[in-house]
Order: sequence, then C-alpha cells, then structure tokens
Amino acid sequence: MHARLGRPAQDVLELAVVLEAWGGIATVTALGLGAGALPHDAQPTPEQSARWAPADHAIRESVVPEGVTLLLAILAIAAWAGPLGRQLGPATLGRALSVALPVTLSLQWMIRSRYLSRQAGLRLLAADRVPLSLLAAAIGTLLLLLPGFGPIAAMLVAIWVGGTVLSRRGWGLAYGALLIAEAVGLAAGLAADLSLGAVTLATTIAVAAAVGTAGAASGELPGRMARALVAALLGALLGGLLVGDTSLGWGIHGAFPALALVPSVIGSVWGGYHLWALHDEIPRGLRGVSLAHAGGRIAHGPAAGIVIGALARLVGITTFLSALVLSAGFWTRGTDDLSLFVAFGCAALLCLLVSLLESLGYLRWALLSGAAGLAAELGMNRWAGAPVPGAGLIAGSVVGTLIAGVPLTGRLRSPGRMLATALWIK
Amino acid sequence: MSVAAPRRRAPRRAHGPRILLTTEATYPYAMGGVSSWCHLVVSGLPEFTWSILPIHAGGRRPRQLFELPPHAALAGRVDVWSEQLPRRRSRRNRRGTRRGSRPALPAELARTLIGWTSDPDALTDALVWCRRHPEALRRTFRSVDAWSLFLAELRNVLDERHPDVGRTPELDAVDAANLYQRLYWIARTAAVETPATDLLHVTAAGWAAIPALVHQRISGVPLLLTEHGVYVREAYLAAARSSAPAGERFLSSRLARGLSMAAYAGADVVAPVTEANARWELGLGVEPASIRVIHNGIAPTPSRSDPPGDLKVVSIGRIDPLKDVQTMLHVAAEVTRRIPAAHFEYWGPPTKGQEVYARTCEVLRGQLALGDRFRFMGTTSAPADVVRSADVVLMTSISEGLPMAALEAMAQGRAIVATGVGGVPDLLRGCGIVVPSGDVRGLATGVTALLRDQRLAARLGQRAYARVHDHYTQHTCLRRYRALLAELTGPRP
Repeated sequence: MHARLGRPAQDVLELAVVLEAWGGIATVTALGLGAGALPHDAQPTPEQSARWAPADHAIRESVVPEGVTLLLAILAIAAWAGPLGRQLGPATLGRALSVALPVTLSLQWMIRSRYLSRQAGLRLLAADRVPLSLLAAAIGTLLLLLPGFGPIAAMLVAIWVGGTVLSRRGWGLAYGALLIAEAVGLAAGLAADLSLGAVTLATTIAVAAAVGTAGAASGELPGRMARALVAALLGALLGGLLVGDTSLGWGIHGAFPALALVPSVIGSVWGGYHLWALHDEIPRGLRGVSLAHAGGRIAHGPAAGIVIGALARLVGITTFLSALVLSAGFWTRGTDDLSLFVAFGCAALLCLLVSLLESLGYLRWALLSGAAGLAAELGMNRWAGAPVPGAGLIAGSVVGTLIAGVPLTGRLRSPGRMLATALWIK
Repeated sequence: MSVAAPRRRAPRRAHGPRILLTTEATYPYAMGGVSSWCHLVVSGLPEFTWSILPIHAGGRRPRQLFELPPHAALAGRVDVWSEQLPRRRSRRNRRGTRRGSRPALPAELARTLIGWTSDPDALTDALVWCRRHPEALRRTFRSVDAWSLFLAELRNVLDERHPDVGRTPELDAVDAANLYQRLYWIARTAAVETPATDLLHVTAAGWAAIPALVHQRISGVPLLLTEHGVYVREAYLAAARSSAPAGERFLSSRLARGLSMAAYAGADVVAPVTEANARWELGLGVEPASIRVIHNGIAPTPSRSDPPGDLKVVSIGRIDPLKDVQTMLHVAAEVTRRIPAAHFEYWGPPTKGQEVYARTCEVLRGQLALGDRFRFMGTTSAPADVVRSADVVLMTSISEGLPMAALEAMAQGRAIVATGVGGVPDLLRGCGIVVPSGDVRGLATGVTALLRDQRLAARLGQRAYARVHDHYTQHTCLRRYRALLAELTGPRP
C-alpha cells in the first residue's frame, strides 16, 4: 500500500481497490481482508499546501484595456460637451444626457452579466444577435420618439454601448481614435447631428464586425436572463443616480467639465481590477484553515483584505487625481468645485459595492442600495436643494453605500462562509 | 443545473411500457463503451418507450452525438455546475411542491453521503424533500444556519470511529466549501422533475441514480441499475492516483461511496456487464438474488481473417491513467528489444482532463527512444479495420468492466494479451493471455510469444472468435435485456 500510495489506506475499500488493481489480488480476497489490514494508529501524512487554480485571468486582464477605453471615451466626450452644448442648446443636450446615461449603463450591465463576463462572451452575443438586434431597434425607436433630444440620446447610447463591445473585442484604441476624431471635428465646427450620426454608423458597423468575427459557438452557456435583467435594473438605477442631481450640469458649462469624472473612473477601474482577485484569493487564503474556524470570523481574512484593498485604491487614486485636476485650475475651469469630485468619488464607491453585491448574488441588497441611493438623492434635490454642486449625488451615494455595507460587513469577516454560501453557490 | 435545455419532448412513437434511462457524462453526448451500449439497448428494444435523462457537467452546451430512435426522447438535461436555475414549474407541475426551508439539509446530506455508516433511507428522505422544495434549495444553501450546521455535522462525521476506517485526513475550510457546493448540486439534481414512467433504468451507481431514487420513493416504480464499471471502485482508483490534497481525495471517494451505496440499496435489480463487477457488488452488500449479469454484446462479423504477420501490436482506448499507457510503453520497449521489427499503434484520444497525462506518455515514449516503433494514432472511426490489421491486441488497463475493445478484437479473431482486471479474465478464458496489471515483463513475454509463434496467435484468435459468437453478441445482450425489462415492467406479484 505504501509503495503504491505513499500513505496508508483511508479505509478497507481503498485497501481492496488498490490491492486488486495493482497487487493482482482477487476481488473477494481483497474485500475480505477487512479492518485487520488497516493501520489505525497511522498519522496523516503532512501534505504540501495545495495549489489553487486561478480563475479566468483572460477576463480579468481584459479589464485593463476596457478601463483605458472607458477613459478615452470620457476624455473625448468631455471634449464634445462644449461644442454640442453650443450647437444643440444646453437644455437639449442636458435632457439627452440624462436619458442616455441610465439607458447606457443599464444595457452595459445587462450584456456584461449575460455575455461579456464569460470567456466566450462575444460568441455568446453573436449567438443571440437576432433578439439583441430587435432589442436594440426597439430601444432606438423609443428614444427617437422622444421629442427634440431623442435622436441625440439614441446616438449617444449606440456609441457608448458599442464601445463596451469593441473594447472587449480588443478594438478599444480604434474606438478611442474614432471618438477623438469626432472631438476634433466638433471643435472644428462640424454639424453635431451629422457627425454624431457618422460616428454612430461607424460604431454600429464595427460592433457588427466585432461580433460577426468572434468565432464559432463554443458551447459555453450565457448567464441567467433573470440575473441579467436585475443587472440592467441596477445599471439604470446607478445611471439615474448620476443624472438625478441637476446641480452637476454634466459638462455643459465650462471647457472640459467632465474631467471631474476622470479621477473617480480611474480609481474605480483600479479598485475593480483588484476586486477580481476575490475569487482566487479567498480559497487561497482559506487553505489550511481548520474546520473549527471555517465558519467563524477571521481577523484580517482574505475577503476583507481584498475588499479593503480595492476600496483603498479607489479612494486613494480618486483623491490624488482629483487634487491634481483641481490644482490645474487653468484647464479645469467649470469643474473646480471640490464637492463635484467628492460626489463622483462617492458614486464610484457605491458602484463598486453594488457591483460586488451583484457578483456575489446578493441581488436584493444591491437593488435596495441602488434604489435607496436614488431616492435619497431625489429627496435631497427636492427638499434641501443643492447647497453645493453634487450635494444630491453625495447624499444618495452615501445612503446607498451605507446600505450596501450592511450585508458585506458581516460576510467579509467570515471568508469561509462567504466562499461556501456566496462565491460557490451561484 | 437546469433541466431547462433541451425542453422535455415526448417520443415521436410511443407505445409499450415507459422506461426512464438516466446517464452520467455519457449517452447521448459522449462516445464510448457505455454510450454505445445505451444506444444499442434503446435502439434495439423498440417495444419500450424510452425517455433519456442525461446528467452533464461542465457548464457548456453539449453536442448530441447519437440520434435517438422514434420511440425515444430526451426528458431534459441536468447541467451540473451551470449557473442556470431550474425553470419555474407550471402550476400543474407544481402540485406536490412546497415552500419551506430545511437548514439542516446540507448537514443531513453530509452525514448520509460521507459518513461510513450510511443510511440510504435518510438520504432518500432528504433528496425527496429537495424534489418537493426546488425553489428553496438555493436559499437554503446560501443561509448562515445551513453552513454552520453542515460544518458541525462534518466534524462529527470525521470524528466517527469504525474498525473499517483508518485515520481520516484533516480537512480545511476549502475542502468543506467544496463539499458543500457538491452537496448543493446533488440537491439540485434530486430536485429535477422526472416524467411518469414504468421503470427507472440507471446506468451508473453515482449521480445518475439521484433522480431515479427520488422518483422511486415517490411513486414506487422499480429501479434497474446497470453497472459497466464499478462506480465506487473507479472513484477510489481515481482518488488513489490523484495528486490532489488528502481532503479532496477523501471527500470525492467517500461521496462516490455514499452515492453507490444508496443506488445499491434502492435497486430492485443490479445488472453488471461481467461477473467481476458482480463480485464487487456482492462484496459491497448487494443481495445475490438481485444480481443478474448481462454481458455486453457486439455485432457478429461474418468471417474471420488470419493475422497479417506484420509484427504489429495494436491497442484501442482513451489515453487515460486507467489504461496504464505508461506500462504499455515499457512493454513496447521490452518487446522491441527482443524483436526489433515489432511495432505498436495506440488508437484513441486523451480523455478530457487527462491532457497532462497524455503529454507525459509522449515524453516517456521519447525517453524510451521508441520512435516510430510506438505511435499514437489518434481517434479511429473504424476500430474493426484497425484491429484486423494487427497481429496481437494489447491491453494494459488497471480497471475494466467488459471492454468493448477486447470484444472487437475477439470478433475479428485476434489474439489478445491483457491485464487480468475486471471482466477480462472471464472474457479471455481459454482464448487469450492474461497477466497481472503493471507486470511489464509478463505482458512483454506474452506479446513476444504471440509475435514469434503466429500459429499460436491464430489459434487463440480462432477461439476468441468462437467465444464471442457464442456468448457476447448484441443479439444475446438484447434478448436478455428484453426479458428483464419485460419482467420489471410487467404485473408485479
């Protein structure tokens, strides 16, 4: 037994199986050896701490180009705000943005939940191209029907959602170049509706090509539809939170006002990237933790460490970059209100926590924190006004964050429970 | 898991008693001996109406490799490890399902499946609860209470002292979470709806038995278990070979044991494909009166040819540690040392998940400097032609039931040198050379003797051909199953 296994048999069945398979002993004899052949006093052989197969690194690594693309998009669109506001009128652009942003976030969260969170995400998208095209057409038609600002909103949604698909395909830089070209064109005096239409058409064609050339069906299953719908609702709530505060102005005033978004977006991408380690690090950190401690709280456990690390990255980078942008007052005319940066930083924090709750399957908590945040923001706007720019967004984000923190606080301190009941029971 | 895809269909032609066939990682989504057998029985017995419920793992949409005959249809599919939740039942199908919670469920499953002293009745009770409360399962397993109760019970199980059990390894939190997840999937498999049927036919004493055991408890329908290998034996062999941590090995083998013991306890008839499996089943507590050995069968070949005399040795099988390909490489090295003109062909792909093993075999082939004298040929769609081109067929497995590759070789009249595992010694009695597993010298001597003495090889081949035609034809296999299924679906005394 020792020669074959390098350890004593765990029970009489293993003894019989090994002796029969490798020792040439007849089944009946092997099964009849019984308990007498087992060394009951043997100590368990110490083992190497097991390696842990990392989760899907390809998807984790794709967060970086997606983040860079997002940043390019924000910078470019920040540059669009002034010229678009001048050509279309601030009111029209403001209304278009307040519809386009929630719709975009809703669609992005949905396709990420159902398709892009999978390795074969684009192929899964391709497999569902007919219902997705119908959905896109329906949303586009509804938006176009909105009087005045509808066509602009529809084009912005198509451009932003298309960017998510293109960056996943690895075409993020080309997409960024397209947005920068549009920024240059608008600054040079191109007609807003025509040039935006051209960018929309180019993005749509590129998306069709990206999905069409993604490859054959892989057999991988898409995410649950019900969960994708909840994700869509979460995206809409967070989008609503971003546009619900009328004091933000959304870059219609000032030269590059949407620059205020950049620090929190970079912080959010970095924090989110760190959070991906959760799926690897929790099992790694729990290796060797005895059963007696598997259900209890572990001070400085792997789950809490990673989430705190992600939050620290988000807050740290947002604060640092905000200070940097504020200090460059010449460039950031119109975005030099400290409260604006605080508001976007709080919103990024809430987005991160809601996203974490969603990925762990605590959908009701995620919905509750998103909805409560939005309600608090709207309530603030209605009854308290805007003592400082972004006050509503700050209030909503803080309320949402506090609610999101309730389920997370206890669970993060019990990583064993989190692994068993949340990460591995989807 | 979802039984969602594909949707349940009725057979295009339905008459005769209804049989629900449950499979695990085989028919109709994978090629192999068990799948071929399933297809033979389902296609060859049109007097029954077949529903097939495959259990499939991997989170991917599988491709159906066998076309079902008109009197058979899929009864859904259990996708284990998939993220999909069971489809909500229609109001009509929701009869008998209840709302509720049972925080002790994971603990009960741990006790009844991992504990050495099994209690199949208690296990089936818990599984029946899962069927009646499908929508409570996810909530139950995600609850704090369930996890705490499970941990306490798992510690009790590990502290269990029994003369037949050695020291249990120390499990850690990850092992526990891993088991917890597997128990969740067992609960989800138990929750799968099964169609009305007159007989439950289970093709492996593992996961495939779960929905059948529940159905049996609810409706009292008889359960037939066909074992091609011995499920628990193969699980223990896999664990013994595995380099996984001790806790993981312990839990996977114990879980297989728990499932097998429950399947044996629930089966009205156990039909192994070989007497060797029957000996294991008897040893594991199956009543002798419940066991009916029904051999696998092969389509008869009209005529037999003599070996070509090319000094070619052929093997057919997956590249898998169970086939002990590394021993075969050593045998090839030894044989080619004695007969330099001898050459070996290995036909078959690596088993999914055993790609590393396949690579180590390739490395060993290089280290032994076998060159073209041993070649991995890949998959074949014409095994009969491959076998016919050989002088000797070699099998070095450490575990077999009644191997189709051996039957194929016998049907072509080829002499076989094989390890004496599973049903192989019974099968080759008087018509082949049987050597203990892992005995490189013995195997090499057998192969060398047959390559050098072509008359002996031809004579053994002739006897193998006669034996397969007398005892191991598809016709015989179907005749015996027809009688058994009719008996089990007929009026009960």
